[in-house]
Amino acid sequence: MSVADYTTQKRVQIGGLAVVALIVLGALLTVWFDVALDRLFTGGYVNRSLQMATPIALAAVGGLYAEKSGVFNIGLEGFMIFGAFTSAATMYLLGGTSPSQGHIWLAIVVAVIVTMLFAALFAVLLIRYKADQIVAGLAVWFIGLGFAPFLAAILWGSRSSPGLASINYLAVPNLEEIPWFGSALFTQSPLVLLTVLIVLVSWVLLYRTRYGYWIQAAGENPEALDTAGIDVNRVRYAAVIFSGAMAGLGGAVLLAHAGNFVGTGETMVDGRGWIGIVAYLFGNYNPIGAAAAALLFGGLDMLNYQLQMVGIEVSARLVNLFPYIAVIVVLTAWGKTRVPSSVGEPYESEE
Amino acid sequence: MSSSDSGRVRAVLDYAAARMLDATVLERIGIAIASTTLALLIGLIIVAAAGHNPIRFANQLVVGSFGSERAIARTLRYSTIFVLAGIAVAIAFRAGVFNIGVQGQFIVGGIATVISIIWLAPLLPDGMIGGAVLILVGTLAAVISGGLYAALPGVLKAYGGANEIITTIMLNFIAIGFVGWLVSSPFNDPESTATRTERLPDNVSLPSIVFEDPNLSIVGLIVTIAVVAFVAIVMTRTSFGYDMVTSGYQQSAAKYSGVDAKRMIVSTMTFSGIVAGLAGAVFVIMIQGYYTDPSGVGNYGFDAIAISLLAANNPIGVIPAGILFGGLESASSHIQINSNVPVQLIDGVVGLVVLFVAVPELFRMIARRTGLGGDDR
Repeated sequence: MSVADYTTQKRVQIGGLAVVALIVLGALLTVWFDVALDRLFTGGYVNRSLQMATPIALAAVGGLYAEKSGVFNIGLEGFMIFGAFTSAATMYLLGGTSPSQGHIWLAIVVAVIVTMLFAALFAVLLIRYKADQIVAGLAVWFIGLGFAPFLAAILWGSRSSPGLASINYLAVPNLEEIPWFGSALFTQSPLVLLTVLIVLVSWVLLYRTRYGYWIQAAGENPEALDTAGIDVNRVRYAAVIFSGAMAGLGGAVLLAHAGNFVGTGETMVDGRGWIGIVAYLFGNYNPIGAAAAALLFGGLDMLNYQLQMVGIEVSARLVNLFPYIAVIVVLTAWGKTRVPSSVGEPYESEE
Repeated sequence: MSSSDSGRVRAVLDYAAARMLDATVLERIGIAIASTTLALLIGLIIVAAAGHNPIRFANQLVVGSFGSERAIARTLRYSTIFVLAGIAVAIAFRAGVFNIGVQGQFIVGGIATVISIIWLAPLLPDGMIGGAVLILVGTLAAVISGGLYAALPGVLKAYGGANEIITTIMLNFIAIGFVGWLVSSPFNDPESTATRTERLPDNVSLPSIVFEDPNLSIVGLIVTIAVVAFVAIVMTRTSFGYDMVTSGYQQSAAKYSGVDAKRMIVSTMTFSGIVAGLAGAVFVIMIQGYYTDPSGVGNYGFDAIAISLLAANNPIGVIPAGILFGGLESASSHIQINSNVPVQLIDGVVGLVVLFVAVPELFRMIARRTGLGGDDR
């Protein structure tokens, strides 16, 4: 299988270890709390994990395109905040507190367009004006953290929006009743399916098309690409704008699932953009690997709800820390990802 | 041109080169001022676009930060924390390590102070001496826990290759969540309706001389200035500081002169975290007096990144930058009461400041286009 071509041996080992660890953890839970595993890992859990994973996976796919092309977009978190806010605001302006499904889809489109514009501006600062990529990326986060709650306060008089509406699930009658995977596959948010599609298309685009090779060359060997007559910076602009659009879409998807905007604390995005960066590092810059890593984080995120369902009393605040701890463990166990060699360096053509 | 003339030319060139070195400092100051001004201008435009009066808003910014003795005391109170947190960031950035986790180390330091003081208070006499001991112990707890909390990502970076930007951000989220749990469960004050810990005993407070503000102490200011002086001396006058800065800017040179890069990363992070923890202790003892849910204590550690960048990571430069941010914070608490412009705007402006600091090239270009300041700006 061609995915395996891009998956190194060691990563498989670590992935295997993670699965073993999860099984051992599950077994311990069964013994300590007398909880049957099949009650913990239900079809509904898979379903919710997929939903939690989608925003992370989208941000990750975007981020890996930017980094493959030689630009480290550390502003994913900020773009997600813009995406979530813009879609909430659009939804509210179109349909008040009871927007229709059509309004939700329109809001998602608007959010993607708006974040694309922001990302284009960001790309100009990074590529044309050679801004420090780390500092500018942090700035995007801070701007999101500040302006999204500010605009929310102007629009709704509070940092969070009132309840708006969340997206309807697609359900295939009869098939959804298949045990285990039936509900995950056949009663699912259309946005999860869209994400799966985007991940697969990104994989094909990156590894199977000429444009994908240009993106990879822009990060690995910009001189060669330049010599071949391709404008390196143009490829990078496209990749950075795409990464902003994907992060914005991720934020909009997060909102469409949650149904209202939360601008308190670190906002409803709550680190998912940063987790997205780790997801693509863990996935070795491969869209499919990144999506799988996002699913791992999404699953950890939903564990809280799952433990409550089976009656294990653990503080929600503590269980909510699992994804962040997992990020640290993953980064440490697999910190030395092979970064494209020209990441972070502005490229100047020798014309 | 005679040979004596060429000697003169040489001297002039040397002089010009020396001036150019100064110019980089000037240039940085110019960029800092330009970034802040531009960010504030954009803030005002947004205020106007949101249907408020920008001139009134600008006026409130000034009145709210420096307009009265109360405002000045409030500004200095916030500045104390901002300068300490800014120094913490600057230490790491100078050494080429991105400690984005100052917020987390600040929170961990603060809660360590509260817990240690609450635990120890019943064992000590009530008077001033007991209070002084508690303050020292609480500060020590903050410094140790802040240092350790920063050492962890340092170790993970040095020996595991984990990117410190991401690990420190994750540790921020973990600190916020974990301390949030601490103040809502095991250390919750049962007599309070709010989610917070018990208050510190009355004898744990710093004297308010000079300023009448109960939340500003001259002791806090002195500690801050002493820390700035200490860090500046360590950075510029000690071999440890020299190794730190060279490993940040000239990795190969540092390696050649025998600096253990990995240990340097860990000690830099620890040093940075110690100062962040100290900021947490000063925040608790001087200002808050208890601990609340850390998602609401204020983004001191994040703003500190902007402060350090604005100061070009120079410990002394952190003072004016910290006072600027203290003024903004002070003005925002004034604006919150006296105006209906949402104060989150100030956070957005801070983000813009960071963005503009990241693109010095933009300002150089503007300077060149407009002819203002020419090349040495």
